[in-house]
Amino acid sequence: MTWLRLHLDAVGDALRRLASQPFASLVSIAVLGVALALPVVAAVLMKSVGATAAGLDTEPHVSVYMALDAAPEDVRRVEGALRAQPDAAAVKFVSRAQALAELQSTTHLADVLASLDRNPLPDAFTVRMRTSDADRIAAARAAWSRLPKVDQVAADFEWSQHLARWARFGERVVLAIGLLLAGAVAFIVAHLIRLQVLTRRDEIEVSQLVGATAADVRRPFLYHGALEGLFAGAAALGLAALVAAWIGSELSALTPSYAAELKVVFLSPAERAALVAGAAALGLLGAWTAVARELRRFAADR
Amino acid sequence: MIRFSAVTKRYPGGLEALRGVTLEVAEGEMVAITGHSGAGKSTLLKLAAGLERASGGTVLVQGQNLGSLGEASLAVLRRRIGFVFQDHKLLYDRSAFENVALPLRICGFPREEAARRVRAALAKVGLLAREKAMPVALSGGEQQRLCIARAIVNRPMVLIADEPTGNLDADYARAIVDLFDSFHQVGVTVLLSTHDEASVARLRCRRVALAAGAVLKAAAA
Repeated sequence: MTWLRLHLDAVGDALRRLASQPFASLVSIAVLGVALALPVVAAVLMKSVGATAAGLDTEPHVSVYMALDAAPEDVRRVEGALRAQPDAAAVKFVSRAQALAELQSTTHLADVLASLDRNPLPDAFTVRMRTSDADRIAAARAAWSRLPKVDQVAADFEWSQHLARWARFGERVVLAIGLLLAGAVAFIVAHLIRLQVLTRRDEIEVSQLVGATAADVRRPFLYHGALEGLFAGAAALGLAALVAAWIGSELSALTPSYAAELKVVFLSPAERAALVAGAAALGLLGAWTAVARELRRFAADR
Repeated sequence: MIRFSAVTKRYPGGLEALRGVTLEVAEGEMVAITGHSGAGKSTLLKLAAGLERASGGTVLVQGQNLGSLGEASLAVLRRRIGFVFQDHKLLYDRSAFENVALPLRICGFPREEAARRVRAALAKVGLLAREKAMPVALSGGEQQRLCIARAIVNRPMVLIADEPTGNLDADYARAIVDLFDSFHQVGVTVLLSTHDEASVARLRCRRVALAAGAVLKAAAA
């Protein structure tokens, strides 16, 4: 029970310290909160982009265009060859007439198209691939382009790989910013706690004289740092939620012009808890380094 | 209770405060360390209380060799020894009550029990009515007594006082000396130092004279 009382006393002491200088405490927590909110907002955006991309069909497709003079038998033979390929998940035939109708209905090229004396579009197949392995897709593409009356084979899977690469790059950037700002938080807390230790130097000295161990002296400062981190984490969460809502209102306005719904995906409850706990841990780390350093200096002065 | 064997203390810079001091203080005994300032009295008391470490020799307190104790164990040992500092070492931003409560807070005493003990200690030194006063509002003699209250609040078996009558006028000094005598009467081992033998003349206790870091004579009064 003594152990519990010592810890409760230390928490009470730390809270009283924070409350005794409300303005200074609020400013400190706001600084730390803003620093943490930045990577949180970046992470939320990455998460949202990831969710939007997941809503898109990122499976690789291969388009097979027939020559303009291909006969219906050629088309049937190529279709058979495409379906026989084990990596082809689905084969969809788009006739040149269908393609023209689609082009006329979805673009403003109707007049231009009408002025043409013949349909410039070929019959085509869209093949959804089972694999995203570039070598295997390239092999299928090479085999299909050798089929008779096949004019061109286009594999438009590169963009999805690009997207994945950009996503990895984005995650790396977010991680780097997050690490830098986490370091900043630990340093700021270390500085704040150092000032606290210096202003309470007499109390520390007297406490040690009447029997306080190093752990006894450290305890309230460690809680002080951890609480500052905890409150900063909560503040960062609130700030990030506000920013996400603000950005989200503009983002949803963009939705009608895109197929996939654009929306901000905020942190999950587990991620929120991890953020606050991580911020508290950073505060604890900063406080620990500051207290350990200052106590060593006090000991050397005596 | 306290045993010094050939204890030396050298401070950084070469000052040799104690040179081979051998001294034993029995349980329940009261001993006055006398000597001019700079004789090594304060050093001897600090070593006995585990506030500083000896450079040579051994210091045994309640059977424990202080030289072999780690920092944390030494701190815990200090809780069982009441120390009255020459410069009081009070916290000037805390009330008299909170100053006396500090050692109990460090030990994690239950609040009500601590308050009871603090008031008992303040009553013992005649400061119960001033528990809310800040140290600056107290006279020199009252600050001295506040420091004594803090030293006894943990009910230590050993009470050590460094120049407790230091710069007090004769009446105050007598009251303080009587106070220590009363602790001695109830079985507490008391070790105190003074540069002014007259102030302890009334005490029936052993005197140990210290000069230039060595024991001159050990005579019973």
